[in-house]
Amino acid sequence: MTIELKKLTKRFGTLTAVDSVDLTVGDGEVLCLLGPSGCGKTTTLRMVAGLELASEGEVYLGGKNVSDQTARDRNVAMSFQFYALYPSLTVAENLAFPLYGEGLSKTEVDARVARISNTLQLSGILNRKPGQLAEGEKQRVAVGRSIIRDPTCFLFDEPLSRLDVQLREEMRGEIKLVLQDLSRPTVIVTHDQLEALTMADRIAVMRDGKIEQVDTPHNVFQRPKNLFVAGFIGTPQMNLLPATLTASNGASAEFAITGGQTIKMEVDPRISENSPGTKVTLGVRPRNLEISNEPTPDGISSTIDIVEPMGAETLAHLSDGQHDLRLVTDWRVPLNEGDKVHTRFLPGTTHIFTADEQVMRTP
Amino acid sequence: MARNHREIGKAGWGYTAMTSVIGFIYFFPVLWIILTAFKTRTDALAVPPKLFFTPTLDNFTSVFYRASITTGSSQATDMGLYFFNSIFIAGTSVGLALIVGTLAAYAFSRFPLRGNDTYLFIILTTRMMPPIVVIIPIFLMFRLSGLAGTYWGIILLYTAFNIPFSVWLIKSFFDELNPEIEDAARMDGSTESRVFFGFCIPQILAGLSATFVFGLILTWNEFLFALLLTGVETRTVPVAMARTLGGEVGVDYGLLAAIVTLFLIPIFFVTFLLQNQLLRGVTFGTVKK
Amino acid sequence: MANTEKTRGGFGAWLLDPKRRGALLVTPAITILFVMNIFPLMWSFGLSFFNYKASSLKEPKFKGFNNYEKVLTDEKVWERFQTTAIIVSSSVIMQLIIGFLMAMIFAKVFPLRRIVLMLVLTPMMLSFVSVGVFFKLFYEPTFGIVSFVLNFFTEERFVLLGSPEGAILGIVIADAWMWSPFVMLLVLAGLVSIPKYLYEAAEIDRASKWRTFWTITFPYIKSLLLLAVLFRTIETFKLFDVVYIITDGGPGSSTETIAVFLYRTAFQFFKTSQSSALAYIVLFIVIVLTNLYLYSVNQRQEEVE
Repeated sequence: MTIELKKLTKRFGTLTAVDSVDLTVGDGEVLCLLGPSGCGKTTTLRMVAGLELASEGEVYLGGKNVSDQTARDRNVAMSFQFYALYPSLTVAENLAFPLYGEGLSKTEVDARVARISNTLQLSGILNRKPGQLAEGEKQRVAVGRSIIRDPTCFLFDEPLSRLDVQLREEMRGEIKLVLQDLSRPTVIVTHDQLEALTMADRIAVMRDGKIEQVDTPHNVFQRPKNLFVAGFIGTPQMNLLPATLTASNGASAEFAITGGQTIKMEVDPRISENSPGTKVTLGVRPRNLEISNEPTPDGISSTIDIVEPMGAETLAHLSDGQHDLRLVTDWRVPLNEGDKVHTRFLPGTTHIFTADEQVMRTP
Repeated sequence: MARNHREIGKAGWGYTAMTSVIGFIYFFPVLWIILTAFKTRTDALAVPPKLFFTPTLDNFTSVFYRASITTGSSQATDMGLYFFNSIFIAGTSVGLALIVGTLAAYAFSRFPLRGNDTYLFIILTTRMMPPIVVIIPIFLMFRLSGLAGTYWGIILLYTAFNIPFSVWLIKSFFDELNPEIEDAARMDGSTESRVFFGFCIPQILAGLSATFVFGLILTWNEFLFALLLTGVETRTVPVAMARTLGGEVGVDYGLLAAIVTLFLIPIFFVTFLLQNQLLRGVTFGTVKK
Repeated sequence: MANTEKTRGGFGAWLLDPKRRGALLVTPAITILFVMNIFPLMWSFGLSFFNYKASSLKEPKFKGFNNYEKVLTDEKVWERFQTTAIIVSSSVIMQLIIGFLMAMIFAKVFPLRRIVLMLVLTPMMLSFVSVGVFFKLFYEPTFGIVSFVLNFFTEERFVLLGSPEGAILGIVIADAWMWSPFVMLLVLAGLVSIPKYLYEAAEIDRASKWRTFWTITFPYIKSLLLLAVLFRTIETFKLFDVVYIITDGGPGSSTETIAVFLYRTAFQFFKTSQSSALAYIVLFIVIVLTNLYLYSVNQRQEEVE
């Protein structure tokens, strides 16, 4: 059972919310649609569900073209952002609700409800109504209601967005366990990258209706395909410095960062294919910067503006006069606001993006 | 390949045709009244009733200018003043009732006291008495306190009329709201008034609009108390209408129809404006964070 | 703790203190109601125990329950109650069914919805007096449209208001026509506040239309339906203008509602005290009735929980 989206497009009047999306989700795979608000991820999900019909393109569930069918006929399960629990029914009745369409006997229904409530620890609140539940409990009921069936696929719309931080951590682990047991393709929509990184087998990063990159969480982090993905994934955000290639020679190249400083580093030799004067963007993650005592050719000088202790690590905001940098280091490194320091780019960790935002070379 | 947008809760022109029939059935008597406003006296009482006739604007002019019997020239009636009075009095009293009622409804819903149901019921009972009965005490009260014939007197009275319904209806809407969103806002540091105005009120705008419309209609057309408690300066249109009935030659249907038609316009207008709130169709759920 | 409270704004904070907040918010409403409604009610309640005639200048004499006795033993009063009961129940039931159906219909978004809705709302906007005068004209055998239309089928002038049944029917139709949009609006306001995602969840769960209605729609509008029935019952009990103008209580006294009878007693026969007594009996009945409504609804709610 797989999900296939072919050239899926959705327009609302003149607005194109989803633009020619191609995607495949394998059997048992968990795919996250990740992106900022308005990028089209929820609309895409709703098109898979059948709550919206595509303007163009096709949806295939289990090899069957379901593009013309509405949600009712597609036999999908969906968990909504606002949970959509039926307020007048108890938790047990909410869980059992989807099973009425399947003609099961009462004992069967009760058995399934019992099983699900055990898995999700809902046994104690089976007789309560949604209005009497805590946020985390509601979330589990919503998830329970969707997995109690045997549908073609599972769809989750921002499942954890309404939980507080602590609950989110708990639920992330729980949901991941639950998802591992299911053998159907699952699509999760979220704007929280941490959720995506921890729960997904693959992540599809979306922007303005298009998919920017589909890859494993590791690759999306380590090998972003373009500036947008690089800047979106990873907290604190990757440092992006506009620069110009001034010289390249074999394995090392020199760049002039706008604002006056120059930096020299080891690069993939293929960089020399570009002529000097090419505008690039250098991307380096905060944890790949190091404070050094001496100026080095593969670093720049900067001043510490703000120091934010984060417990085991410290986040420092630096400025080189023109650009703001973020640096994360071990808490034991002494940092004081106002200090002038040298910041070294750790070798082999810098991404170089060309002017049209495609990754030219990753280290 | 273009696809049909079959969303939940939407329908097409066939549906419109069906509802139009219903709409027409309801509207027909009103339509007849409006048509009658354009008829001459003979046309209005024609046998069999006439659907097609030559229209005249005489009735409308008569509303504002009455031919004086004595001087033979037209004299402006005070209908303009009466219209203003109606608008002012109804608008103010319903508005007041809405404000006062919303506050009370909020309190009843969010801070229930032990005797809540009793208080609510007592509020309800103030509507139950046939006006005839309280008319004498109220009349005397107004006379003694000097409120008779003033704007404030009748406005306060009408406000009292509208409060029970406002409180009950608005409370039922407050009851439906999700208190968690409010709590979330409170945790974020919003003050009570911001929670109230920023969160609660927007969500119940449909209910507030409905309350306003109903209150307006009831107050707009109120006759009995207006008759006794408004003076020459503060007279409302329904009272003026009744005075035309006691006419010389029996009911002047045309003239009455003209007044009714004109009187219908402001209310029609207000209701039309508030439709937006009443007609959102099934909503998209609570406000997204 | 007292210090921080003070620095947050003194009197204002004292006013909005959670303990007092509820009472404060309710005060304006209660005050207005008391002065304008409750006080006069108590006054006229007092009047009902005296022998007070508005026409004469005699000092009112205390008569105790004399007035109430006279009223309750009057056969005419019971007849009027019966008439009123028939009119109220017929009209309210009609309004309820029609209003509810129409609300379901208007809940969907369709082209020209606004315009059609305005058409349906116009009956409410007319005054009772206008409705009375013109419906009387409609019902008129010679000049009225109703007769005219039915003429095509029966070849006869149609007399509606000549018989007691017909007269009641005429009144009920006029009242239901006027106020079923009221029920519709109320229910519609409720339907409109149902979140769309509940319906979407039901669609995904493949629930039948009937189940969707019972599980999602009905609970939301239950309280509003009750409100509609409550208020329409109370208002229809007081029905005066329409009856007075269309039938004047006739033919004979077959359509004389309690309100019309009260009017006659108070202003035509000048039995002011008796009418007060009767009015309080009516009030009592209405209170009992509405309590029954509220009670039965609360009962059912508790059964569900």
